[in-house]
Order: sequence, then C-alpha cells, then structure tokens
Amino acid sequence: MSYISVRDLSKSFTVRKKREKGHLLREKTQIQALQNISFDIEQGELVGYIGPNGAGKSTTVKILSGILTPDSGSAAVGGMIPWKERKKHVKRIGVVFGQRSQLWWDVPIIDSYSLLRDIYRIPESDYQKRLSELTDALDLGHLLRTPLRLLSLGQRMRAELCGSLLHSPELLFLDEPTIGLDAVSKLALRDFLKEENEKKGTTILLTTHDMEDIAALCQRVMVLGHGKKLFDGALPQLLSRYDTLRTVHVRYDGGINLPALPDTCLIEQDGDGHKITYAPEKLPTTQLLSLLQSAGNIRELTAQPQNIDHLIAAMYKEMDL
Amino acid sequence: MKKYISIFLMRLKMETQYRGAALGGILCQMFFGLVYIALYRAFYAGKPQDFPVSSLVTYVWLQQAFFRMLLAFDSELGEKIRTGGIAYDLCRPMNFYGYYYARSAAQKLMGSLLRAIPMLLFAMLLPDGWCISAPASLPALLISLLALMTGLLCICALDNITMGVTMRTIDPKGMQAMLNLLMMTFSGNILPLTLFPDSWQKVITLLPYAQLLDAPIRLYTGEWALSQAPRVLLIQLFWLAALTGLGLFIWQRNQKHLVVQGG
Repeated sequence: MSYISVRDLSKSFTVRKKREKGHLLREKTQIQALQNISFDIEQGELVGYIGPNGAGKSTTVKILSGILTPDSGSAAVGGMIPWKERKKHVKRIGVVFGQRSQLWWDVPIIDSYSLLRDIYRIPESDYQKRLSELTDALDLGHLLRTPLRLLSLGQRMRAELCGSLLHSPELLFLDEPTIGLDAVSKLALRDFLKEENEKKGTTILLTTHDMEDIAALCQRVMVLGHGKKLFDGALPQLLSRYDTLRTVHVRYDGGINLPALPDTCLIEQDGDGHKITYAPEKLPTTQLLSLLQSAGNIRELTAQPQNIDHLIAAMYKEMDL
Repeated sequence: MKKYISIFLMRLKMETQYRGAALGGILCQMFFGLVYIALYRAFYAGKPQDFPVSSLVTYVWLQQAFFRMLLAFDSELGEKIRTGGIAYDLCRPMNFYGYYYARSAAQKLMGSLLRAIPMLLFAMLLPDGWCISAPASLPALLISLLALMTGLLCICALDNITMGVTMRTIDPKGMQAMLNLLMMTFSGNILPLTLFPDSWQKVITLLPYAQLLDAPIRLYTGEWALSQAPRVLLIQLFWLAALTGLGLFIWQRNQKHLVVQGG
C-alpha cells in the first residue's frame, strides 16, 4: 500500500446565511467541500495541490493531519488513520498553515521552540543539531531572541516553518507557505524545501496559489475544483493542453508600421513596440517572422513563454471552476 | 507530563510580562476592598453581628487579593476559536484539553500571585479594624493553601467547560457574562458567603463556586475548624473530578464535530 492512501473521501460543511426578509428561519446550505476524493502518494514525493479558492485543498490537508473528521471515505497515512489515531499520527507530521501562527505571540521564538521540543519530546542533542541546521538554512540565527510580534511577515513565515520542522517530520503539509513573501524569501524557501525533500526524503504536500512554487518544486500536481479531483499528473502534461499561445514583442526602427497580420493574431500596443499573441498551430512561427521582416528593419524582437498563471486561469475557466 | 509542565512554565513566564495590568488590577482591587470594608463597618456600627468584623475584613481582603484567579480569561484561546487558529493546537501530539488546562492554571496562578503579594502586604499595614488578620494557626494556613490550590484547579476546569461550549457557539461573551454573574455571587466576591442566611449556606457552600475562594478563606480564618478540613477537601476534590470529567467529555465530543473557522 502507498504511504498516503486516500479513498472516496467526502466532507461537507453547513453554512448558515442571514435570514431573508419574510422568512421565518435562516437558510442553511450544505457545502460539499470534498466529494469522493481518491489518491495515493508515495514516500519521498513532493506533490503540488492546486485549485481555485474554496476548492477543498485546505480541507484535505486538515483531514490528513487529523484535525477534521471526514463524513465518509477512508484515508491512511503510513498505516494510521489520522483522525482516529491523532496523537500518534501527528508526532510524525509537520504542518504549516500560511495564514495562521503556531508560535507564541508575546515570547521570543526560541522559547516557543523549546516548548515544541518538550511537546514532541525531541532529545536535547538532536534538538540542538536540528535547530542550528534550520536556523542556518532559514537565516534565523539573529532573530531567535526576538518576540514573534516584532518580526516582519517574511521573518515570521521562516520562523513558523522552522517550528514545524524541528521534530524532523517524515511528512510535511504546507498550506500556502509563500503567502506574502518577497522574491528573495520565496526563492530561499523553495531551495530549502527542495533540499529537505531530496536529502531527508521528506514527503511534502504543497498547497499554493503561486504557480511558480509548483513549477519550481513539484514533479506531480493534483488539481482540485469544487471538491473533485480534476487532474493528477506531471505539470508539463497538464499545461500542454492549455499552452497553445505564444507571444512576441516586436519593435521596428523609427516610423515603420506593423504589416497586416492574419485575424487570428491579437495585437496590442506596447510602449513604442507591439505585442503579438498568436497560435503556432494556426500561424507557424516562420510565417509570422517573414511577415514581420518584410515590413522593414526590426530593431528588437523578444519571444516570451505563456505566463503560467494565465494557463491555470484558462484551465480553471475551461473546467468551469 | 513534561510537556504540560513546560506549557505551564512558559505561560507563567509570559504572565510576568503583564506587570502594568497587574498594577492596574492591584489599585482597583484595593479600592474595592476599602469600600467594602467601610460599608461592612458601617453596618456593624448600626447592628453588630455574630460574625466578628475582623474575620469579615480578612475575608474581603483575601477575596480581593485573589480576584484574578476568578476572572482571568485566556483571550488567546477565545481568539483562536473565533479565527480557526486552534487548527495548530490540534496537530500536536498532546491532549488538547490538557494544553489549555496548563495554560489557564499558569495564567491564574501567576496573575494572582503578582497581585496578591503586594495587596496582602498593603492589607497587613492598615490600622486595626481595617487590616487583615493572621491565620487561625499554622496548620490552618497550610491547609487553606492546599484548599486554595485545589480551588485554582477547579476554576480552570470550570473555565474549560465554558470554552468547550464556546467551540460550538464561537463567541464566548454571552455565556461568560451569565456564568460570571453566578460565579461572583456564589464565590462570595460580592457578599461574603458567611453573611448569607444559614439555610442558604447549607446549599451554596456545596456548590462548585464556593470551593474556589470561600472554602480556603474559611479554613484560614478558622471559621471552619481543622477537623472540618477533610470534609472540605473531599467536596473540592469531588467537584474537581466532576468538572474536569465534564470538560474533557465536551472537548472530546467537539473534536469530532470540529469546524475550523476562516478556511
């Protein structure tokens, strides 16, 4: 059996809405957060878990980390049912909820870490070794004595991640860990996660809206929408279906106008040049280039890959999410 | 057990950071203490009662000094329930109830010590008729301290029941306001329980609220003799077990139906 094995998992929530005028009772609606989700994850995999807001990603993470009990279906992580053997199960896992905090607000973060050491019963020598390893990798050494409330968002995120990894979990759930981070912190975090995965063999399930995260880290992605699993496979395979357009920026020597191009091209003014979006399936690239060249001297021409966010947006749209 | 002790110690340490709040509390409680005593002295001047006024003054001072024990609320937990932050506490290899029990015990203990020590010193320096009396005897002092600690554990268990219900209702305010009224009345904070009619006292001294401060104070003043101490402690232990059991039951049931707020 796989390390994580999920079968037909379902979970619904009741949402109460404000009473409508003229009605006696509040309206209650059942939201199906998850509908018969099934998947397997092997040990050492780094899987991206994507989908629009409200797709059920976080719910899955919460069920697999033993916080929520599903309505039906089964799930096993390393042979344990998370919500039934919660205490035993959570000893082996680490969780980062990007929008919440696990460290104590008013105390220096090193004190929060010592508390986690006692909670997870980490032997002192292991703890010291792991702590220095993590503080080096996450650049936290000079912040250890600062209370959490005085840290910036990026520093806090790194501190949170360190807290979740102190007990060297074999499985890590990351729920939007790069939320609100600047480019440098994001890149550092990615490198760090990659190393944890490759060197320690930590299994990671990464939930995010940042497609760059996914592209940089995950060999495999699962797409979730309206509580259903829509895709499970490699990212390029997913994108190739939607990656049908190419964009070039072109700028001529002064005063030359763009030649007439077929209707299938989308032309936008872009500074003193033009941005042309075309489908290579309909208009081969060589043909476009010779059309452009025939008009005059091209000063500058750049080709850009399709923005991954646009691809995902196109995909969500097509899947009716 | 070590983890719960670590949580307890960390919360103790954290509580010492709120010294400004403690100072404010001390001033407020001193004011209340003086006003209550002036009031009772006026009543006694009109019509003396069986219960000696010096014991009544001691009762008032001890109630005021340990006021924080009754009304310290872990606002962080309330906030976590409201916003869904408890998700993190649930993915720790520990008992969720025990975690908050340890936190609340530390908060109440350190919070009341920070206030009680300066206040009792102040109350000792006051002139006769206004000052706190010495305990009935050394054994009485020791047994009242033991009773006070049991009382502290009882109030933590009571608070955890409130929080358990809050997990369902999301907001604690309504329920707290109601329960605080009960607590202030039946713990003897508003009117010392010894001044209630005797027939009432038979019942209210058995209630859980009387175990928090009233019972320890009566052991301290000697109103209840040492021979009665085992009976008092037994009642306290009964409530401690019952309240903890009920709280654990509610929390464990909640865990199955938990909804994490805020996605």
